[in-house]
Amino acid sequence: MLTPEEKEQFIRQTPILGEDGQEKLKNAAVLVAGAGGLGTAIALHCAFAGFGTVRIADCDRIERSNLNRQTLYRLPDIGRMKADMAVERIQGVTPYLCTEAVNTVITVENVLQMTAGMDIIIDAMDNYDTRYILADAAEERGIPFIHGAIDGFYGQVATTIPGQSACLRCIVPHPPPRTKVPALSATTGIIGSIQVTEAIKCILGMGTLLTDKLLLWDGLHCEMDTIEVTPLKECPHCGECRKMKTEQKK
Amino acid sequence: MQEDENRAEKMKVTVKVFATLRRFMEKESQVTIESGTTAGELLLMLTKEHPGLNNELFDETGVLREYVNILKNGRNIHFLNKLETIIEENDLIAIFPPSGGG
Repeated sequence: MLTPEEKEQFIRQTPILGEDGQEKLKNAAVLVAGAGGLGTAIALHCAFAGFGTVRIADCDRIERSNLNRQTLYRLPDIGRMKADMAVERIQGVTPYLCTEAVNTVITVENVLQMTAGMDIIIDAMDNYDTRYILADAAEERGIPFIHGAIDGFYGQVATTIPGQSACLRCIVPHPPPRTKVPALSATTGIIGSIQVTEAIKCILGMGTLLTDKLLLWDGLHCEMDTIEVTPLKECPHCGECRKMKTEQKK
Repeated sequence: MQEDENRAEKMKVTVKVFATLRRFMEKESQVTIESGTTAGELLLMLTKEHPGLNNELFDETGVLREYVNILKNGRNIHFLNKLETIIEENDLIAIFPPSGGG
C-alpha cells in the first residue's frame, strides 16, 4: 500500500500509472548494470519513478574524464567507486527506496547471483561481452532485459522478453570493436530515459514495448526511427532450436 | 524478342541508412536493381555512388565489417545467406553500425 505521503509524492504520475501501478513499481526491483553515462541517468530516473529496489553494478572508480556525462558524480568524487557513489546519490528520493551497490565485474560466474531477486535488468554497459552475459541471465531468469547503447550523438534501445521476442543476439549478432566511443550527457540522458520508460511499461504491463524492434536515435539530425527486427527461428538463444532443446530437456 | 528475354528485370528496393552512414548518403533512398542482385552487389552499387561508405562497410582488404548490421525486411543477412542473400522487389534494406558505448 502507498502511504499518504507517497500518494502525495506521486500525485503527478498516478494519473498515468495508477495507484496500483505505483504500488507495482514500489514492489519492483531493478538491476542497473553499469554506472557510467547511461547508468547514472537510469538509476536516477528509476529512483524518481518510484522503483522499490535499485541495485547498481559497476567495477570502476570515478575519473575526471567521466564528469562530462556521468551526472550523479562531482569533482570531489574522483577516485570513489561508481556504484557506491551512485547509490549514495539516489538515496532519499523515496522513503522506501532500497539501494544496493555491487562493486565487481559482471561475469558468467557471478551474474546469476547478481540478478537474484531482480524483476528487470537495464543494460548500461559499455561492451557487448557483458551485455550478452546479462541478456543470457535475463533469459535464464525469465525477466525482461532493456538494452541501450550510445555512440556520440547516436543511441539505440531494444527490449527483449525471454521466450516472446527477438533476443539481443538477433538484434546485434556481431558487436562493434570495443573502443572508447565519444559520449555526450545529452545522448545518455535521452537513451537512459527511454530505457527507464520501457522498464516502467514492462513492470506495469502497459503501452507498446520495443520488442522485436530497435529504436535508433540520431541526435545530429534530431531523428528517431524504429526498425523491425524479426526473431530468428534458427537463433540458438531464442529461436526454434532453443525451444526444441528446452523441450528435449523436459 | 530474344534481346528482351535476356534483359534482366528491373526492380525497386528501399535502402535506409542510420548513424554514421548518414554522413555519406540520404537516410532513405529508392534504388533500382536488376532481379537476382545480391546484398553484396547492392552494397557495391551503394559504395560506387557514395564512396565514403566504403570504409564504413568494408575493411582494408575489402571484407565486409562483420558488426555492420544489414537487415533485409528486419532479418539480419548474417542469418540468411550473408552477402549472397538475394534482394527482392520492394525489400526494405536497413544498414547501420550498432552503438556500443554506455
